[in-house]
Amino acid sequence: MIPLENFLVLSALLFAFGLFGVLSRRSAILILMSVELMLAAVAINFIAFASYRDTEAFSGLVFALFVITVAAAEVGLALGIVLRLFRERRTANVDEASSLKW
Amino acid sequence: MTDIMGNGLNMQYSLLLPEILLGLTAFLVVFADLFSAELKIGYRLLPLLTVAGLVAALAASLILADQNSDFAMLVTVDAFTTFFRVLFCAVAIALIIGSHEYIESHVNHPGEFFALLLLSTAGASFMAGARDLLTAYLAVEVLSFSLYIAVSLGRNDPRSGEAALKYVLLGGVASAFLLYGLSFIYGVAGSTQYATIAEALGGDVSAVRGELVLGLVLIVAGLGFKASAVPFHMWTPDAYEGAPIPVTAYLSATSKAATFALLLRWFAGPLLPAINEWQWMIAVLATATMVLGNLVALQQRNIKRLLAYSSIAQVGFMLMALVGMSQITAGGLLVHLGGYLITNLTVFIAVIHFYNRTGKEQISDFKGLAQTNPYLALVMTAGLFSLAGMPLLVGFFTKFILFQSVVEADFLWLVVVAVVASTISLFYYLQVIKQMYLYQPDGDPARWRLTPTGYLTTGVLLAAVVVLGVWGTPLYEVADHAAAALFPA
Amino acid sequence: MFDRLPLPSQFDRTIIAGGTVLLLGATPVLVVLAALLVVDRITAPEFVFFLASAVLLASAAGVVLMKNIVHAALCLVVTLLGVAAIYLLLLTEFLALVQVLVYGGGVVILLLFGLMMTNAQDDPVVTDGSQKPFAFGVAALIAGVFIAMALDAQWGSPEAAIIPLPDFGARLFRDFSLPVVIVAVLLDIAFTGAFVNARRADAASAARGEARS
Repeated sequence: MIPLENFLVLSALLFAFGLFGVLSRRSAILILMSVELMLAAVAINFIAFASYRDTEAFSGLVFALFVITVAAAEVGLALGIVLRLFRERRTANVDEASSLKW
Repeated sequence: MTDIMGNGLNMQYSLLLPEILLGLTAFLVVFADLFSAELKIGYRLLPLLTVAGLVAALAASLILADQNSDFAMLVTVDAFTTFFRVLFCAVAIALIIGSHEYIESHVNHPGEFFALLLLSTAGASFMAGARDLLTAYLAVEVLSFSLYIAVSLGRNDPRSGEAALKYVLLGGVASAFLLYGLSFIYGVAGSTQYATIAEALGGDVSAVRGELVLGLVLIVAGLGFKASAVPFHMWTPDAYEGAPIPVTAYLSATSKAATFALLLRWFAGPLLPAINEWQWMIAVLATATMVLGNLVALQQRNIKRLLAYSSIAQVGFMLMALVGMSQITAGGLLVHLGGYLITNLTVFIAVIHFYNRTGKEQISDFKGLAQTNPYLALVMTAGLFSLAGMPLLVGFFTKFILFQSVVEADFLWLVVVAVVASTISLFYYLQVIKQMYLYQPDGDPARWRLTPTGYLTTGVLLAAVVVLGVWGTPLYEVADHAAAALFPA
Repeated sequence: MFDRLPLPSQFDRTIIAGGTVLLLGATPVLVVLAALLVVDRITAPEFVFFLASAVLLASAAGVVLMKNIVHAALCLVVTLLGVAAIYLLLLTEFLALVQVLVYGGGVVILLLFGLMMTNAQDDPVVTDGSQKPFAFGVAALIAGVFIAMALDAQWGSPEAAIIPLPDFGARLFRDFSLPVVIVAVLLDIAFTGAFVNARRADAASAARGEARS
C-alpha cells in the first residue's frame, strides 16, 4: 500500500512547480499552463484524501471532478481575454501590458 | 430521498426560488438581447427585465425569510442567507437603475452584462448560504468568473482588457491557493459538510495540526485575495481602474460582501473550533490592510483608484470583526457591511453620473462641481463623509457599532489602529470634497442636471445614508437577527 | 501568417526529440526502481507510483522551464497524463478517464491554439522575466513547508477506501444535485466570457447599430 504521505509530497512538489511558473513566466498562456499544474496538484490532494481519510470516499472525488471542470472553463475564459488583448496590443506578455501600474 | 449515510435529503426546490428566478431572468435577458432585431425591442427593455427579475428574487427571499431549513445538506436557508439575498438583490437593483445610461454607452454586450450581473448575484447568495465546501467553492467561482468577464467589457477602453487579464490570472492563482487549503481541511476533517468539519475540528486534531494550520493559511490567503486584503490586494487598483465604473461599484460592493458572508459562515461555523490557529492571521491581515490601504490612498489621483484603496481600507475594518469572532462582532460586521454598501453605492453612482456628463475620472476633474451641479456635489460629499465615518451619517453609526463590538471582544489595540486609520482616511476624502467646493470649474461653468433615474437612485441612497445615520435601529435589529442564525444556541 | 507557423515536420522533430529525452531520462529511474522492486524494497504499486511521479515532475519542470513554448505545451500533456496515472493508482478510474479526455483532448489543444495565435505566431521562443531567482525562492519555500507539514502530520494508519464506481453517477446527481447545476451555470458563464472577448468589439457594435437603425 502506498502511504498517504507520498501523494501529499508529490502534490506539494507539483504545486510548487506551478507557482514557480506563475512567478517566472511572462507569457499569459504559459502562466495559465502553470496554474493548470497547481490545480492538478489540488486534484491529487483531494483524491488522495478521499481515498484515505473519508469514510464515504466520495465528496473528495466530486470535488476533484469539479476542480477539473472549473480549470478547463477557466482556460477557455482566460484565453478569450488573452486573444482580445493580443488583438489590441500585439502582445501576450503580462509585463508589456502595463498601461496600468502592475 | 436519502443520501449515502441514510440521512434524509430535503429536495425542496422552492427554497432556492430567488436563485432560480435570477437564473431564469438571466436566460431571458440574453434571449431578448439575441433576438432584439427580430422582436423589435430596444436596449431599454434589458435593464427593465433585469430589475424585474431582481425585484422578484428579492420578494421571493423575503417570502422565505422565516425559513430555517436546508436544501439537500448543500445550502442553508436561514436569517443569515436571507439578509445577504436581500442585500445583493438590492445592490444590483440600485446599480442598474443608477447606471443604465452608462452601461448603454460604455459597456460592450449589455445583454450579456446584465445576465452576468444576475448570475453573479445568484452565486453571491449561494456563497452566503452554502453549508458544504463544494457548494461554497463553486459559488465563489461563479461570482469570480462573472467578474473577470464584466471587467473586460469596457468599450473603447484599452485598460479594460488588460485589467481583466491581470484579474483572471491572479484570480486563478488565488483559487488554486484556496482549493489547496480546502483540500487540507477536507483531509483533516474527512468531510466537506460544515457541520461534520466543526465536529472533527472540535475533537483532537493535534496529530494533524500542521496540516490544519497550513490549510487555514492558504484559505485566508485565497479569500484575502477575493476580499482584496493587504498583501493580496495587488489586483484591486488595476481591476478597479480598468473596469467600467458600474463593475467597479459591483466589485467593491457585492463581491466584497459575498466574500465576507463566506468568511463569516466558515469562521463562525466549521472553522470556529480552530480559532486559536487562525485568530492571529486575521489580526495581522486586518492591521496591514487598515494601515496600508489608507496610506496608499493618500497618493491617488484617479477617483476609481482612490475608491479602490478606500475599499481596501474598509476591508481592514471588517476583518477586524472576524478576529474576536462572536455573535456580537458578527452582528457588528453585518451592520457595517450594510452601511458600507449603501454609502459606497451612493458615491459610485454619483461618480457614474459625473462620468456620463464629463467623461473624466481624475480627482482634479471634480473641480467646481458644487457650482455646476450642487446636488451631485452634496451627494458625493455625504457619501465620502459617511465613508470616513462622520457623525449623523450611516458610516459613523455602523463604524461605531463595529468598533464597539470589537472592543467588547477584548481587541482594544485593533480598534486603536482602526481609529487612527479612520482619521487618515478623512484626509483623502476631504481632498475630493475640497476640489468640488473650493475651486472654480475648469471648463464649462454651466449648470447641468441628472437624468430622472439618476435623481431617483441618488435621492433614495442619500436618504438612506442620512436616515440610517440618525436612526439605525432597523438595520441593527435585522443584522442582529441574521447574526443570531450563525450561532444557534 | 501561415508561413510563420511551425511546420508539421517541425512538430515531428519536436515529438521525436521529446520522446528521446524522455526515454533517456526515464531509463535510469526505471532501472533503479526495477532493481528495488526485484529486491523487494518496494511493492508493485509503489514502483508504478515512483515511475509516474518521476515522469510527471520532470515534465512539470519542462512546462515551467522550457524556452520553446510548443515544447512546454507538449510537456504539459505528459504531466497531465502522469497525473491521470496517479489517479489510477488511487483506484479512481473514472477521474483518470475524465483527466485524459478533458485535459489531453480539450485543454491542451485549446492552449496550443492560443499559443499559435499569439506568441508562436512571431517567435516560438520566449524569454522569461528577470524574477527567476525570486520565483525559485518562493517556490522552494512553499514546497519545503508543504512537504515538512505532510511528513510531520500523523495520519494514523489510513486504509484506502475502495470507491464504489458503479453508483458514482447516481450519488453525484443525488447528493450533489445543486453543485452540478451551479457548474452548468459556471460553464455557461465561461462560454459567454470566451465569446464576448474573442469576438471583435467593433463587429459586435456594428451589428448592434445595424439592428437598431
